[in-house]
Amino acid sequence: MNLASSKRTPFGVHPIQWLVLAFVIALGIGPLSLAFTRLWAVTGITPWEAVTQVYELPAAKDALTFAVLEATVSTVFTVAIGLPLAWAFGRYSWSRMRLKRSLLFLPFVTPPIVAAAGFLALLSPGGIVYALGIDLRGETGIIGWMASATGWEHPGHFIALITAHVWFNLSLVVRFVEPVVAQLDPRWEEQLRLLPAGQTRLGRIQHLWIPILGPATTVAAAYTFFFSFTSFAMVKWLAPASNTLESLLGEMGGTAGIEGYRVEASLAVLGIATFQTVMMLLMLILAGRFERKHSQVLSLHHEEANRRKHGTAPRVWSWFANGLLIMLLAPLVSVVVASFRVRSSNGATAGYEWTFEGWKRAWSGDFSTVPVYDALANSLTYAVITLLVALPLGYAVASSLVTLRREGHRRVAGMLDSLCMLPLSMSAVMVGLGMVAGILRWYPDLFSFPYLPVVPHVMLVLPFVIRLLTPAMERIEPKFAEQASLLSLGPLAFWWHSRGSFLVVPATMAASLCLAFSLGEFGATYLVVRVGSWDSLSIMVDQVASRPKFDPFVLPTAMALATVLMVVTLMVLTVNERARAWRVRHEV
Amino acid sequence: MRTMLITLLLFLAPLSGCLLETEDDGCVSAQGSGGEGPLRILTYDIAAFSDEMLGGFTCNTGYEIELIYADDAGGILELLLQTQQAPQAHVAIGLDNTYLQSAIDFGLLAEHDVNTTHIDPTVMERYSGPFAVPFDQGDVCLNYDEREVDGENLTVPTSLWNLTEPAWKGKTVFPSPLTSSPGRAFMAATVSYFENDEDESTDAFDWWQAMFENGATVTTGWTEAYEIHYSGGYGAWVDGHLGDAALTVSYCHSPGVEAYYSGNWTVSTSLLLPRASFHQIEYGGLVNGGGNVEAANAFLTYLLSEEVNHNMPVNNLMQSVLVNATWPETEGYRYHTDVPEVKADLSTERIGAEMDAWLLAWTHEKNEAEA
Repeated sequence: MNLASSKRTPFGVHPIQWLVLAFVIALGIGPLSLAFTRLWAVTGITPWEAVTQVYELPAAKDALTFAVLEATVSTVFTVAIGLPLAWAFGRYSWSRMRLKRSLLFLPFVTPPIVAAAGFLALLSPGGIVYALGIDLRGETGIIGWMASATGWEHPGHFIALITAHVWFNLSLVVRFVEPVVAQLDPRWEEQLRLLPAGQTRLGRIQHLWIPILGPATTVAAAYTFFFSFTSFAMVKWLAPASNTLESLLGEMGGTAGIEGYRVEASLAVLGIATFQTVMMLLMLILAGRFERKHSQVLSLHHEEANRRKHGTAPRVWSWFANGLLIMLLAPLVSVVVASFRVRSSNGATAGYEWTFEGWKRAWSGDFSTVPVYDALANSLTYAVITLLVALPLGYAVASSLVTLRREGHRRVAGMLDSLCMLPLSMSAVMVGLGMVAGILRWYPDLFSFPYLPVVPHVMLVLPFVIRLLTPAMERIEPKFAEQASLLSLGPLAFWWHSRGSFLVVPATMAASLCLAFSLGEFGATYLVVRVGSWDSLSIMVDQVASRPKFDPFVLPTAMALATVLMVVTLMVLTVNERARAWRVRHEV
Repeated sequence: MRTMLITLLLFLAPLSGCLLETEDDGCVSAQGSGGEGPLRILTYDIAAFSDEMLGGFTCNTGYEIELIYADDAGGILELLLQTQQAPQAHVAIGLDNTYLQSAIDFGLLAEHDVNTTHIDPTVMERYSGPFAVPFDQGDVCLNYDEREVDGENLTVPTSLWNLTEPAWKGKTVFPSPLTSSPGRAFMAATVSYFENDEDESTDAFDWWQAMFENGATVTTGWTEAYEIHYSGGYGAWVDGHLGDAALTVSYCHSPGVEAYYSGNWTVSTSLLLPRASFHQIEYGGLVNGGGNVEAANAFLTYLLSEEVNHNMPVNNLMQSVLVNATWPETEGYRYHTDVPEVKADLSTERIGAEMDAWLLAWTHEKNEAEA
């Protein structure tokens, strides 16, 4: 329904759309402001005063330094590896492209604890990396030499963490850059080759590829930095001697916000969270600016025709891309293998055995209060509800932003866009605290509401839905609406012909992402009060994996649960890729 | 793929929420206890709360159960505090004696109506008031790797001060008392230890400072300390094990548990220095203002029944609180379990009154060492 055209306000947006915008922004700001208000009341000092005291905490100083360092290095390596991969995927024809894209995206939606378990398996004795003589975990051999020669504490842990962050964020670079390469009008390159500046490869890079790919790469880099900076589980497991601000908050968060109890913890959380939120906001505003620039330079051309023109990838590119995919899969394969492997550690006959016992326990629920099928049903239920709520909300917001920009209110649109991204800037600890504080104040019975975990899921997926739908809407030419208005169509038919039909595929992609993110979401859900029978699969994985593992079947059970989660997520992502393929075939 | 997904969705959708429905085979018919809904139990991930155990309660009493999870004992206290104005649970299970007094002082617990006469009187000495009942116990103490502490490279400490010597530099790991209940229990034990040693010029926090300066590692929880860093435990078989610490904080019966699951084999043992262990008791109590009192009392009674409580060593890796409780003989569980003769001597009231100050002092020493 084209609400914007039926009734206008001063900014050209329908009042209902303003309401939705206000709701989405309130959904993001609400928990954060409630958490800050609570901490402010408990500590008696303002967030800004608390920030000034952060530097008195040596742990916070170390965490900030470490977070900036590891996020910068992670970003550099992610872009360095991701850019050629995206270029190769966008330029050449590949067999089983849908599967490859799904596999590439799988790390991004894999619960961090599963990813960490996969990496630990690779790095430990018996793992591939260890077998190659690189001991990143125990830091012996060349890594140990590196540590003693440079005085660098735990270089192996740092390298492992960077590798995991690259693994996690690589798909971001491909997602942002590949479509630009694939859809670039080939005439641009051809014409440039005729000009003096385009005679050399360096010249073409300088005058074509950097201006074209620069904005998309910068957006991907900004998000990579952002996700690495706020890394929590990966840091906890792969770099146990270090902290980011987020993992530090995770340690102290539970105690925060309680009147008259461990006030020093509330003070520390208030200071660190304020500092981190401001940093995150600045990063998101920058990323938003780059992204808008990125959507402007997109030059649409049929990507399959482009790929056909360049043919299959040369052998070097083929080895590079396929080899990288195999490497990306290695941690996930480790998880599957670990679900069948159980230790038999009775001194003389120490070793491992292969068994289905982990799967049996996962299925029967012996090691949890919820069997795997219940947890999976809960996960799917939350995911579907998240989708049903987030997609319409995301559509309404994206539509408003596009209208505002078309009406010339670019600054207002930019500001609102940044506000809608706010949930991404929040620490999971603050979201959890805000939820508890807010719900308690206004509607305590909500604690008993079985779909409560959907709220943080919606909060976290909405920015992605908006980010997917906004550029798609911006690409719809206004002439379609003009043409449709000449026909005597009802409001619904008008909407479909002028906008809806062009959004089927981006909306399907957004829907798949909603499902996949919700399935893998872990942090915020975990910090909201947890009722056992609501446990989702990702929470179950963490719950079982965190238990004391005196009993050798605990870990295989956790890994069996993780395998189920991965398979379901892969299925959802494959649907996503089918939607993209449909778009390409139908030139939407 | 599409067909598979749809089939999966259709297959799984009806299964949602079927947890804890009881079969009608000789059980008391399910009830919601006077219109107050299922009994809501706030707990951490206690292994003893298996489907079988919870199902048994529902079968015997007809009360249905819903579990609300916190991370650990500290998480239970924090959640009770955060929800004090609008209690979400009827009963809280898992507060230990380092948290219990705080819960009582904040008025979080209500009086119970459970018969405690069959509980070991020595357990009741710690707390025998009306606000909580003990349901399991264990001694928190230092564990060391016998292969590392072999008398040559490292010798068995005869005083906690030995751990501050250069030989032990970087070879110890402790779960933080700020975030771990065994960590908190051990820190409390050090207070008692140094109050009772011969040297009156130093206290526990001088020792902690010396430990930090001697490269002691501090982890968020017990799991990271025992599984990742400790060389003498099952962690050696878990991917990502570092094994850089020959000594950590765990339970005096942890070597017994190691043996039980490894065919009577372990290289881990307990360090039984007088007053360097803490007798941890875990409690259950009715949540003040939570309601559902009858069902809550019934659950605490069930938790203390012979059939449930005597199985604590296997089901929850803790000792029963009932009279004449023993560790199982199976696979060397009892053989490798140590029982300290002289434990930390701290009353529950004193712990409640001074814990915040101890935590501040501990944090101060840690910050000083890191600065």
